[in-house]
Amino acid sequence: MTQQQEPPPTSSADAARAASSPGAQPAGAAHPGRDSDGGASDSGDTVLACRGIRRSFQVGDRRIGVLHGIDLDLARGERLSLMGASGAGKTTLLNILGLLDRPDEGEVRIEGSPAWTLSTPERARVRNRSIGFVFQFYHLLPELNALENTLLPAMIADSPRAFRARRSGLQERAREMLARFGLSDRLRHRPGQLSGGEQQRVAITRALILDPPILIADEPTGNLDRATGERMLDLLFEEQERTGTALLLVTHDERVAQRCQRIVYMEDGQVQADSSTPMPQ
Amino acid sequence: MYRWFLSLRYLRARKTNWIGAAGIFVAVAALILILSIMSGFLAESRGHLRGNLSDVLVTPRLDYPTPATGELPPRDPGPMMERIRELPQVESAGLELVWYGMLAQEGGGQRISNPLVGDLSLVQLVGVDVQDEYATTDLLESLEATARPHPLFGATPQVDDLQDPFRQPANYSPDGAPKESIVLGFQLCRALYLDKGDEVEIVTVSIDPDTGRIGEPSNRTFVVAGSFRSGEMEMDVERIYMERSVLADFLGREADWSQVLVKLHDYERDKAQVVAALREELFEAGYLHTLDPTHRTFGREVQTWEDFKGSLLGAIENEKALMGVMLSLVMIVAGFTVFALLSMMVSEKRRDIGIITALGATPRGVLMLFLLIGCWQALLGATLGTLAGIWAAVRIDPIERWLSDVFGVQIFNRKVYIFDHIPSEIQPYGVAGIVLGAVLCTLLFASFPAWRAARLNPVDALRYE
Repeated sequence: MTQQQEPPPTSSADAARAASSPGAQPAGAAHPGRDSDGGASDSGDTVLACRGIRRSFQVGDRRIGVLHGIDLDLARGERLSLMGASGAGKTTLLNILGLLDRPDEGEVRIEGSPAWTLSTPERARVRNRSIGFVFQFYHLLPELNALENTLLPAMIADSPRAFRARRSGLQERAREMLARFGLSDRLRHRPGQLSGGEQQRVAITRALILDPPILIADEPTGNLDRATGERMLDLLFEEQERTGTALLLVTHDERVAQRCQRIVYMEDGQVQADSSTPMPQ
Repeated sequence: MYRWFLSLRYLRARKTNWIGAAGIFVAVAALILILSIMSGFLAESRGHLRGNLSDVLVTPRLDYPTPATGELPPRDPGPMMERIRELPQVESAGLELVWYGMLAQEGGGQRISNPLVGDLSLVQLVGVDVQDEYATTDLLESLEATARPHPLFGATPQVDDLQDPFRQPANYSPDGAPKESIVLGFQLCRALYLDKGDEVEIVTVSIDPDTGRIGEPSNRTFVVAGSFRSGEMEMDVERIYMERSVLADFLGREADWSQVLVKLHDYERDKAQVVAALREELFEAGYLHTLDPTHRTFGREVQTWEDFKGSLLGAIENEKALMGVMLSLVMIVAGFTVFALLSMMVSEKRRDIGIITALGATPRGVLMLFLLIGCWQALLGATLGTLAGIWAAVRIDPIERWLSDVFGVQIFNRKVYIFDHIPSEIQPYGVAGIVLGAVLCTLLFASFPAWRAARLNPVDALRYE
């Protein structure tokens, strides 16, 4: 992931504090699933929870710790912004929560079930059905057109026979989503024929095609100009509210973060501030 | 679903994949064409090598006592023929007397030779009972063959009466008492400019199997009644047929047979069984010898025509196998091409692999995706290669002529092989084996890059820009 110009940490922490003030936090959005003993929650309202996540990397002779015991809950339909300086461990945490990278220690629960104890195929299935990814660089397959890119998670989920059986329904749904995102006349266009904003909109429809309960977006506007980014966020938030998907969004942009119900600020591999809890003075 | 969809899309979108398919196409087409030609050569050669040999030949050594009786084999072939004909697999059996002689100019003493084709004076004298010979060998067909001019050697004299080939020719006007008739191989006839009605003198020296004594040289003049064309070079150059009784009389021998010809109802099915049965039966009857009496190891007294021509057939079989092995190297080169192309593709598609993994693909799914890309290349190349190979094998003659015209070089010299066409025989099982081998070879070479793709860490792959 390419990091952009970071805002000063203090201001981001302030943003987290500001978001924690009464009125900024919608009722029920704050860590509804955290239990008293600190274990990952099984609450029905929590779709994503992690406890004590630690991760380090071997660089030459040295072992560098990146995450030092992260606890985080994401409630169903919650919109959480994850902020932090470059090297704070945001992307590493995102990869672990997205089941792409295994933590050294700790537990991740998706919809109440531990995810890293599952077998590789089972974990891939959870990733396919329960998590939608939106990347900074869109990451569409260049050989596929917009409609095909949107349908890709469904193709991965289904056997050829099952996909054929529900292809028309899926195609109709993908067309509707792309139309809502203003891409009805771009269905057959390949990524190379689309603008950055259009590509990101295709990436969002791809992430949402299977109605996952969790959407992980890694700087989705980081590669777009401000106006396009704003429009894109409007569409993303509108769709997220409509579907009730929980959104975990990494951003460096305070304006973007302010539009979320909750802001978590990371520093040196730890949660330094969470707008859902009273901030240390 | 995505494995099928993406593999086909990658195959279509990336033109370099066609190079892999093209390599397999060339390898499969070349293998099918060459193996078809070699099979054709083998089949044609088997026909040519067999000539007028019967399915099974029994040639007892009449001058050695047998272990079963401690005496020389019986001179009377009757009991032996009875035992042979009793075998259910045997269709017919007949006696032959085979000896050697030299052709001499009339008056004797001087050998005949043709400086263009070398010394042809040594001939094989074969005494036959015509109807038995017809029943056990292709002699009748080879006599009939002379009615059709040979594509390379032209017309050769045919006997006046196929049912009585030793009838004196109509154009024969004997000087004195009429001579007995012989039928010669067409090559011998042609090389010595012999025609029907011509007289030739044959000189021979006989050894009496009863006494082991070398007899006095004897010579006799015969009249040419016609020729035969068996297709087997050696036979057509040196064999001379005559009545068995005539030859026995000429040799002055009491024993008027030296071998038994056996024809089977189903040669391919029964040959081994009949050879084994004949060895046992005729050994017990005191006609055959053993190399090793304890283990009943028999020599070549009973053998199939293939055993008789074993070394030549084996040489062609070996050539065919060798060509197959050498051309398989082309397949391996094609496999390496697929390996190189897929390895390149895996490197270029790291990000895509990361994306589909993030979207829920398993490592096994990624492995299958890249194996399928290799598989499509193999199937495409093998299908087109099979069609091209079969087409070329069927149309090899016009193709060879066209190539010879274009390049001004005679690619296939028909006179060298005595074939008027390039033989080609498509073997369905061979073609199936080549296609299966091509697909398996490609999958084997595709498996390493596919395995590498499956092992990619999605985090690293997504970071890759």
